[in-house]
Amino acid sequence: MEEKITTRRKVLIGMTSAVGAVGASFAVVPFIASWNPSAKAKAVGGPVKVDVSKMQIGQKIQVAWRKQPVFVIRHSKEALESLSKVESKLDDPSSLKIDEPYRDINPTRSTSQEYTVIAGVCTHLGCAPKYYPEIESQPWDESWVGGFFCPCHGSMFDIVGRVFKGVPAPTNLKVPPHYFDGNILTIGEERGTA
Amino acid sequence: MKKTLLLAFLFFGSMESMAAVGAPCGDYGECDTFKPELNNMESLQLGALTFINHCYGCHSLKYSRWGRVSEDLDIPEDIFIDNLVFGTNVKLGDRMMGSMKPAVSETWFGIAPPDLTLVTRLHGSDWVYSYLRTFYEDSSKPYGVNNMVYPGAAMPNALASLQGQQILSCKDIPIIASNGGVRRDEFGNDITEKKCGYLKTIEGSGSLSVQEFDEVIFNLVNFMTYIGEPSRSDRERMGWYAILFFVVFTSFAYLLFREYQKDYH
Amino acid sequence: MTQKSSGFFNWINARLPIVNTYERHLSKHPVPKKVNFWYMFGALASVVLIIQIVSGIWLMFGYENTEEGAFASIEYIMRDIEYGWIIRYMHTTGASMFFAVVYLHMFRGLLYGSYHKPRELVWVFGMTIYLVMMAEGFLGYVLPYGQMSYWGAQVIISLFGAIPYIGESLEIWVRGDYYISGATISRFFALHVVALPLILIALVFMHLVALHEVGAGNPEGVDIEKHIDENGVPLDSVPFFPYKVLNALVAIGIFGIVFSIIMFFFPEGGGYMLELANFEEANPLSTPEHIAPVWYYSPYYAMLRAVPDKLGGLVVMGAAIAILFVVPWLDRSKAASIRYKGILSKIAMTIFIISWLMLAWLGTVPVTALRTTLSIIGTVIYFAFFLLMPIYTSIEKTKPVPERL
Repeated sequence: MEEKITTRRKVLIGMTSAVGAVGASFAVVPFIASWNPSAKAKAVGGPVKVDVSKMQIGQKIQVAWRKQPVFVIRHSKEALESLSKVESKLDDPSSLKIDEPYRDINPTRSTSQEYTVIAGVCTHLGCAPKYYPEIESQPWDESWVGGFFCPCHGSMFDIVGRVFKGVPAPTNLKVPPHYFDGNILTIGEERGTA
Repeated sequence: MKKTLLLAFLFFGSMESMAAVGAPCGDYGECDTFKPELNNMESLQLGALTFINHCYGCHSLKYSRWGRVSEDLDIPEDIFIDNLVFGTNVKLGDRMMGSMKPAVSETWFGIAPPDLTLVTRLHGSDWVYSYLRTFYEDSSKPYGVNNMVYPGAAMPNALASLQGQQILSCKDIPIIASNGGVRRDEFGNDITEKKCGYLKTIEGSGSLSVQEFDEVIFNLVNFMTYIGEPSRSDRERMGWYAILFFVVFTSFAYLLFREYQKDYH
Repeated sequence: MTQKSSGFFNWINARLPIVNTYERHLSKHPVPKKVNFWYMFGALASVVLIIQIVSGIWLMFGYENTEEGAFASIEYIMRDIEYGWIIRYMHTTGASMFFAVVYLHMFRGLLYGSYHKPRELVWVFGMTIYLVMMAEGFLGYVLPYGQMSYWGAQVIISLFGAIPYIGESLEIWVRGDYYISGATISRFFALHVVALPLILIALVFMHLVALHEVGAGNPEGVDIEKHIDENGVPLDSVPFFPYKVLNALVAIGIFGIVFSIIMFFFPEGGGYMLELANFEEANPLSTPEHIAPVWYYSPYYAMLRAVPDKLGGLVVMGAAIAILFVVPWLDRSKAASIRYKGILSKIAMTIFIISWLMLAWLGTVPVTALRTTLSIIGTVIYFAFFLLMPIYTSIEKTKPVPERL
């Protein structure tokens, strides 16, 4: 008995393997897709609403969206006007490296002229940066102009979450989808999508 | 090989038919057959509306989520929220927990009205379809109605305003002779006997005719069948692809097997 | 294979016997060249085992092993997890198909005398696998915590109560509570997903190693080892790769069609695979009207009900399974295959099949007086088939078994 590989055999082996491979690739779809957030996770991770009218000027509050911190900061006019002064220290002042949702609308990076809404997750390795608004000398920067400092690996961001040059974090803090309805801020969806 | 396959088909075929017999409808006898139309969106939408307006006050659908229903039934979210979502402050991702607190309903009905998400899977759609159409007036019962499929059901006829009053009545039924024909008297008239226990709707007592009411119930049970297993229409659609795949795969594998069999046959 | 890669494989093989093992147990393993479809169910059983392990792991991602959460978590898998329903139906259909395939595999063994010398141990390992599977199936059925889970488990655990003296305390010990509660579910869960699968995999391994030591049988009952070529390979054999792999592929394809039909169109198996009462959450205060086991236990359940005594029923049911272990020593026939056995064996086999199917049916339907009588008759036939085997296989005249396949 001799096993001969004829053309017919080659073709049939090819066809059978090809059909098998197609089937296998469909069969793995449910197993991969079932790892996505379930309907329950999506419901829990739905948009959150917060009333921002009670916030003091210069105050930062933390809102949990999808169990992740989102920082909302109410800026003074002076603080916003001084934003352009720090740009020389920044790595990406116009947020060109990331998919910025509300680019070039307001200096706050949000849809509001007064409030900044940014994800409190450092773009380096996911720690939550701390807010140091005062313009004063800090252990990590003698000429600190106010902003966010990440205690994990020392990344620095300005008061609207733009990253400084020469720190481990590669990009600016992300701006989550949001909209304002008067004083009610909704985080987690764009206006009119629900 | 072929024989075994045939046997396998017959085996599972008979299992299915046995299951259909497995849900006898109480005093009503055999249940009326219900054939779901899970791709008939209009029917499902109307059924959902009936459920929310007439059933959801007491019965929850707690394993289901609002948003899923809106999505599966092709109802735009704004229309869905305005017309179907019961209660304010409900988010689309929420589960359909019912609008009555179990403690309240227990004092009303003696028992908490059961959750109905899986009722069509538990009793079968045939059973539910028959049950909802066989309420009749019975003054001896606390709600003034009884049910033929489930005698002594602790539930009022929630759809009485549509159906009207249904009563048990008697009918003259022709007696069948031993030769299979209708027995007649010497004048050639049919001999009949009085039999009771037939459901009869009093005409004009409800807002719908019998046919219209049956249609409302059809849509309702169709929706309840959907909610029992929302993925069912996907399942049946994907099933054809899976079978097709294995048929093609088996054909190629068989040709290859025959080809290699030449080596030792 | 290129020179380079064979060098690599040589390096590995000098340290870890991958290539030798692969050649010995897979690629060059000699398999009888003429077998029929009955010989495909072993391969299919291993396919289903893999399906069960994979789908089972995926079900664990969504399942909650608590009294409050178990039932709802099944609906969570069915609705909220993307394609969760496919994974669940794969597992429930797989469970039934596992038993279907294993029953056919066992029947093949009876039909062609696969347990004959020198394959006694292969049979014993196989029977142990079957026993563990029954436990595994039972534990898994309790996990959804529906009405049938609860009351089925109630009935089975109550069987322990039949054991004299320790019965009642044993029941409580097994449950870890005074009813089937969260405590029971979490231990059943651990046993179902870790302990028994480990034992099952180990047993399957032993089953295969023992089989490969003595070689697979064939429907003729011919000993192919008698005629070997100069390399010691039986003349009536072909190497496993590619010849038997192709056999298996065709079988897997056909099996896939059957599996898909059931899984996508009849996942409830008409109430025999997923019982309808299990669509209601467990209620310890109300028994469903009709308690029936899933179909694969039903013959034994019928035997249990046939005996009007609690302990007696348990003993009969246990004996019915235990007796299968000693079949290799009950069969005294010179011929292994039914093809060359005498008329008595053929009659006995036919009556046995009929009575087994009858018992399987009786186990799923409610009791009536006539059905109880039928169950008793079926039970007697079941035991008679095995207990009388030493007699009818030794007195009957067998046909001569051919030399070659």
